[in-house]
Amino acid sequence: MPGRDKQPSPVIEVNDLHKSFGQLEVLRGIDLIARPGEVISLIGGSGSGKSTTLRCLNLLETPSSAGLLKLLGEEVHLKFDKQGNPEVSDRRQLRRLRSRLGMVFQSFNLWPHMTLEQNVMEAQVQVLGRPKNEAREIAHHLLERVGLTERREMYPAYLSGGQQQRGAIARALAVDPEVMLFDEPTSALDPELVGEVLTVMQGLAEEGRTMIIVTHEMKFAAEVADKVIFLNQGQIEEQGTPEEIFQAPKSERLKQFIQSIN
Amino acid sequence: MPEQTLMKPHRLIMVLVAAVLVLTFAFMMDWAWLPKYSSEILDALWITIALLVSSIVVGFLLAVPIGLVQVTGPRPLTWLAMSFCTLIRGTPILLQMWVLYYGLGSLFPYMPGLRQSWLWPYLIEAWPYAFVALTLSFAGYEGEVMRAAFKGVPRGELEAAHAIGMHPFTILRRIWLPRAVQRVLPTLGGELILQLKATPLVATIAVVDVYAIFGRIRQETFIIYEPLLMLALIYLIFAGGIAFVFRLLENKLPARG
Repeated sequence: MPGRDKQPSPVIEVNDLHKSFGQLEVLRGIDLIARPGEVISLIGGSGSGKSTTLRCLNLLETPSSAGLLKLLGEEVHLKFDKQGNPEVSDRRQLRRLRSRLGMVFQSFNLWPHMTLEQNVMEAQVQVLGRPKNEAREIAHHLLERVGLTERREMYPAYLSGGQQQRGAIARALAVDPEVMLFDEPTSALDPELVGEVLTVMQGLAEEGRTMIIVTHEMKFAAEVADKVIFLNQGQIEEQGTPEEIFQAPKSERLKQFIQSIN
Repeated sequence: MPEQTLMKPHRLIMVLVAAVLVLTFAFMMDWAWLPKYSSEILDALWITIALLVSSIVVGFLLAVPIGLVQVTGPRPLTWLAMSFCTLIRGTPILLQMWVLYYGLGSLFPYMPGLRQSWLWPYLIEAWPYAFVALTLSFAGYEGEVMRAAFKGVPRGELEAAHAIGMHPFTILRRIWLPRAVQRVLPTLGGELILQLKATPLVATIAVVDVYAIFGRIRQETFIIYEPLLMLALIYLIFAGGIAFVFRLLENKLPARG
């Protein structure tokens, strides 16, 4: 894309990221750079480590080790407890950084005891300390954007999966995140509901938001992403523009993967 | 909720049976003692209510951290909470009450300085021991309930809160605890009724609750069935009230997610 060549400083910069669960090494040295406005798609088979990579970026999973872990220009340091488990050194810094990263989950994870509107207000009030009136106004605006104005008084249990996920996107947007992380946002949805969520995400991409998306929707990835990263067995097998990845795959693995999904 | 009406044959028959029973009790039995004891019954009722409400409130406040540390750690606190729950749930509440009242209570006079302290007037009463025993018992049972409740809140809901930068205490206050309580509300209603029915035990350490006063009425008047019947009715009304309130609460909640 034009304009991206100047290479503004990255919002996320990760070097040599490793993650093990017990004996199982899930991530074996991931390097990833996301620049402002960039839309990156992580693709790969099940167990390739794409979700774990994403969850390491806001430290819902703590990396076992990382050469460099820089979020929004701040370096995050890890320490190890007595059992040798990694943890984040500065919890306060982590909370501050997290509040600037929006996360959307596969299973929506709206809070069921709050209405949609309350869900979208919650972090604004409790994390950013916004006055309730202002938070409500922003919630209205965001819910209108994702097409849920009429549903704002409803509890999540009364909403369809697609509606819940759009609500979850509004909730993540409510703290004005600088990066949006999507963890298979459409995988739990009925096929006919996938479109409405993707449309919202496409809108976000078009307005220049930085997004990192783990997805199985290859068509969507090809259309929306600036960069596609193919993971295989905890490593980056191949990366490039959607054209490079989908039309001219180099590695044998990627060729197989693309064949298998078509 | 669908509208309920009494105008159904089986319901009308039930109402009729109930009316006959009440009338039989009212006219065929001996209630002459009631006016004489009414003020004492009222006083005793307040004791029962006070013990029930205070032990539930304080006991639940204790149960929240007892349940929480069993899920979150740190390990020493987990063990402490687990041992407490095991001890309370593994022994009869009557025994706990007696150990506190006759055991601990009899040791206090030998503690230097205690007689002169502001605590002493309370320590020679029976109700503080009853209150403590009922409270600890409720805390022990509800600690276990809350442990399961905290554990049962889907991980994803808490992850969503973490991911948006919420402080752990805010998560507990705004998400984790409300969700945990919501999920165990039906259980809590039942536990409250069990707690109500544990209160008569305080009569064994000389607290004059509603059970004790009816015991005295029986001894003094030699009338047996009428006081017992009335006592049963009182507990039934209490239990029914608790069940009713919890039904309302449950219906007010949004569908469970």
